Amino acid sequence: MNLTELLKIPEEKGDNCKMPAEFSQLSNSLPTQRIQKLIDDLYSVTPEIEAERAILLTESYKQTESYPTIIRRAMALDNILSKMTIVIRDNELIVGNLTTKPRASQIFPEFSNKWIVDEFDTLAKRTGDVFLISEDTKQSLREVFKYWDGKTTNELATELMFPETKAAMEAGVFTVGNYYFNGVGHISVDYAKVLAKGFNGIIAEAEEAIAKADKSEPDYIKKHQFLTAVIIAAKAAIKYAKRFAELARKLAAQTSDAQRQTELLQIAQNCEWVPANPARTFYEALQSFWFVQAIIQIESNGHSISPMRFDQYMYPYYKKDISEGRITQEQAQELLDCLWVKFNDVNKVRDEASTKAFGGYPMFQNLIVGGQTVDGVDATNELSFMCLEATAHTKLPQPSISIRVWNKTPDELMLKAAEVTRLGLGMPAYYNDEVIIPSLVHRGLSLADARDYGIIGCVEPQKGGKTEGWHDAAFFNTAKVLEITINNGMANGKQLGPKTGEFTSFTSFEQFMDAYREQMKYFVSLLVNADNCVDIAHGERAPLPFLSSMVDDCIAKGKSLQEGGAHYNFTGPQGVGIANVADSLMAIKKLVFEEKKVTLAELKEALDTNFGSCEAPKSGAKVNLNLNNLTQEALVEAITKLVLEANKASLEDLQKSANIKVDLGSNGDKEYLRQMLENRAPKFGNDIDEVDELAREVALIYCREVEKYTNPRGGRFQPGLYPVSANVPMGAVTGATPDGRKAGEPLADGVSPVSGRDKKGPTAAVNSVAKIDHHIASNGTLFNQKFHPSALAGQTGLENLSALVRGYFDQKGMHVQFNVVSRETLIDAQKNPDKYKNLVVRVAGYSAHFTSLDKSIQDDIIKRTEHSL
Amino acid sequence: MEYEKNAKGMVFDIQRFSVHDGPGIRSIVFLKGCPLSCHWCSNPESQRPEKQIMFISHNCIGCGRCTRACPTGALTFNPSFSLDHEKCQRCGRCVDVCFSNALNMSGEIQTVEQVLQELKKDNLHYRRSGGGITLSGGEPLFQPNFARELLKGCKAKGWHTAIETTGFAAASVLESILPWVDLILLDIKHMDGEKHRYYTGQPNQVILNNARIMGSYGTPIIIRVPVIPNVNDSIREIQDIAEFALSIKGVKELHLLPYHRLGENKYQYLGYNYKLKGIEPHNKESIRNLQKAVMEKGLACKIGG
Ligand code: SF4
Ligand code: SF4
Repeated sequence: MNLTELLKIPEEKGDNCKMPAEFSQLSNSLPTQRIQKLIDDLYSVTPEIEAERAILLTESYKQTESYPTIIRRAMALDNILSKMTIVIRDNELIVGNLTTKPRASQIFPEFSNKWIVDEFDTLAKRTGDVFLISEDTKQSLREVFKYWDGKTTNELATELMFPETKAAMEAGVFTVGNYYFNGVGHISVDYAKVLAKGFNGIIAEAEEAIAKADKSEPDYIKKHQFLTAVIIAAKAAIKYAKRFAELARKLAAQTSDAQRQTELLQIAQNCEWVPANPARTFYEALQSFWFVQAIIQIESNGHSISPMRFDQYMYPYYKKDISEGRITQEQAQELLDCLWVKFNDVNKVRDEASTKAFGGYPMFQNLIVGGQTVDGVDATNELSFMCLEATAHTKLPQPSISIRVWNKTPDELMLKAAEVTRLGLGMPAYYNDEVIIPSLVHRGLSLADARDYGIIGCVEPQKGGKTEGWHDAAFFNTAKVLEITINNGMANGKQLGPKTGEFTSFTSFEQFMDAYREQMKYFVSLLVNADNCVDIAHGERAPLPFLSSMVDDCIAKGKSLQEGGAHYNFTGPQGVGIANVADSLMAIKKLVFEEKKVTLAELKEALDTNFGSCEAPKSGAKVNLNLNNLTQEALVEAITKLVLEANKASLEDLQKSANIKVDLGSNGDKEYLRQMLENRAPKFGNDIDEVDELAREVALIYCREVEKYTNPRGGRFQPGLYPVSANVPMGAVTGATPDGRKAGEPLADGVSPVSGRDKKGPTAAVNSVAKIDHHIASNGTLFNQKFHPSALAGQTGLENLSALVRGYFDQKGMHVQFNVVSRETLIDAQKNPDKYKNLVVRVAGYSAHFTSLDKSIQDDIIKRTEHSL
Repeated sequence: MEYEKNAKGMVFDIQRFSVHDGPGIRSIVFLKGCPLSCHWCSNPESQRPEKQIMFISHNCIGCGRCTRACPTGALTFNPSFSLDHEKCQRCGRCVDVCFSNALNMSGEIQTVEQVLQELKKDNLHYRRSGGGITLSGGEPLFQPNFARELLKGCKAKGWHTAIETTGFAAASVLESILPWVDLILLDIKHMDGEKHRYYTGQPNQVILNNARIMGSYGTPIIIRVPVIPNVNDSIREIQDIAEFALSIKGVKELHLLPYHRLGENKYQYLGYNYKLKGIEPHNKESIRNLQKAVMEKGLACKIGG
């Protein structure tokens, strides 16, 4: 599930995942009753906070003060896995829990913990993503947090950063919030290796590496520590599984249900064997896989632990079982469905502000099907279809399912994917091999590795099992830098950037562009400083031996991922607001320099006063937040306030006077100017070369700066162009922009056009977006498209959707996903028009923005929606 | 293939990603001007052949600049927006100063070449989806020279072409265009001549004759019936149309287009009266029944385009 979608259509991603009526027509088969029961049970309780992990971690840490960090991490994991409460939930066929209660959240005090205490009393009361927390838990956590004071990765990173870096973060130029406050995650391990060798195999590998190492080498000591930690962690994983075998046997002895007894004994047999040993059956492979997935997320709370090419590494087990008659396709599908439900048992508590943007508890476990093999042959198999089917069956947000598309992707798979798209889950996301493979090769991957890429989290490509990609390294606000350029390096009354010239002094558009380039250069260098500080903090305080044991070349190098053990190392910060900057530059170029409809001074004054709606010079100045201590999400809190303030003065008054001939005075002039900026200069997303080329240029300015730098793990920076949800909070701290956007309004999402400004439909938007150079943005680009189901009705609808994806990919777009808006969404859009500015309804020869239509007509369309499905 | 690049026509919209008016992903070129004036028309701005001002009141910020820009005093805001069509010379000055797009000019003279440039942008999508171009309106046959040259231009680029037509045109006009058309979407509203005249302003004889001519060309035809409450929504009326359709060679399908009110606010924008005000669209059930009635006659029938 992509986060942006969660943001836009929250009501569809909520807790109650009911199966829609249309489901049965669209899907080829129905899930078994067991699946529905598992889903019902999973969603029957409100998620809770559990203190067990935090307590066991701290208990271990207190006993290991004198040990090296990497050993302490391994011993702590062992303590947790040996003592945590384990449960086998009713009807489960795949076992392994992270928390006692379903969808609960453990706490990870080693990364950061102060915000948790601050929110103890509101966790259960907030409007979304509620977590219950008992008084006992609060008490235990308070106790535990005392130990961690001054010892977190967050505190060390803060200590390391330059003051100018902190100042830029405070002004909202960028945020490194995700890894600043949490584990890194964003990784895919070598699942195939664990399935094939088991942890016993990994232990043997580590032992061999120790034996082979030269004891006289100076780095032998650290290597030895790391490899020892790997062995401790792998053994802990095996122990954890065996505890399940024991529990299953115990439950089997207790149950009177003969069928369940058989199932439990089978579970016991599975857990006795895997993940210690090589999986022998499809069922064992699934169980082994899940233990890996679960333990990674017990070791650290970094999200986006992505299974990636599941249909590839699972296939040999599936095929063998099928051909030897050990399993039927239906049985295999049920097991897959069970696993799909299990993915949703993983949860993470976030601070309240974040939940407003991250509604629906997203975990970003990205699983991708299709594409090509390392040899460049089409990789589609039965499991590719069955994975999509499992998503259709469970209709749950996790795993985030994706599909790789290349010229030889079979149309059947495209149509199957389109069917799932039509369910309205916002999944699968489509990825273009023809762009991603060459772009990864350009970043130094071998061709075979590049062909074997998968997707991490939202949209980030990497070769799984070999990469520490640090994909969600930061969000960089390109529109804020524009604002700073317009203010000659100033923000919030402080000189933050270099002096690149008074706005009113520029005599050509190119001069202004040069100033923008110079500011970008400066702020990207600060971004790099911030990321590298956080990177070092993780390496020093929270290396992860279990995770590292399954990623090449950690064992060979004798180094954790956090210290540079991976074969490929990257840092991927995202540029946000490209479309706003492009639209702004277009307006300046055309209306100021070419047509001379407005002067730079007039424009500056309008921006300073937020188009006449406030006297205060800048919205940024009104945000009373310490950005240094803020995740990218935490800023959301400020939005409501800002947007309200920004819009309060003008709109209503103006609307009141709409039908009367009046001159609105100077504020009216500024609104008039805003209308000119918005409607009299071309906008990105309408297939107009002039402005699309500016968007391409802005993206390149950012990307070329970023790719210059290196990280402490010995790898390179690589740029991405996707926002997760950062476009909203980043918009909140950005003043009015020359594209007619008011202060505080959200920025454009990823490489998508500014919401509501792509007025020529999906093909024009697709063509515009494809004009950006996606190859250079090798950390991923994100393009969101919205559809009314009527555009996708029937077989022809599926064919058209798949043709549109292919058409975008022919033009070298990298990623696209679709929001298919349902009737419920339309009803919500009617109530909250501001959220759905971009929603276009198409019927026969007439199309309109939904929110601009009269209520009775909207009602009509809502009715017609039922027609079209 | 030779075509007149500079032939001019009055176009009021080019809509891309149209998926309901012919196969695949298409672009529709809307030509302005129509000999009919159906009460339910969802594109009322398509009816008159000349440019027209449309006023979208909810976009207006009340700045008053339009009235000051107008050289003829055709525009007033007292007490609310009004446009004196007699006085207005369609010079477009008011539209130029209205940055909030409250005032819009519907209709623009364009050359075949200009339109082709716009259509070319989605070339790749036509190819991927088996789509193409649809000429609609208004009535595309109402600008025969432009329509023909544009169709030729499309064929020169190898695109699939369709026309959406009322069928109301001189036979010679029709015959000059048909060689460049791959698919005809022919609207038939009613078999009863009197009712047809009452609701559309024209008799149906010409249309029915032209349907036979189209059939003789062997071009695939889809008959499209806008189903309007109390106008043509009885089983008998629909079956009459189906029977006629079956008598035409080339007809493979009939599409029922349920009445909708999506064009209603455009009537407001133009200062027109909407004659069907208050009429409720059909429910799913009754449209399904009509579909069944068509299929009973042995003709394939889809709901929607
Ligand atoms: S120019 Fe446009 S916005 Fe201003 S009063 Fe006229 S119609 Fe309204
Ligand atoms: S088109 Fe010209 S004459 Fe007509 S209302 Fe506008 S400004 Fe006046």
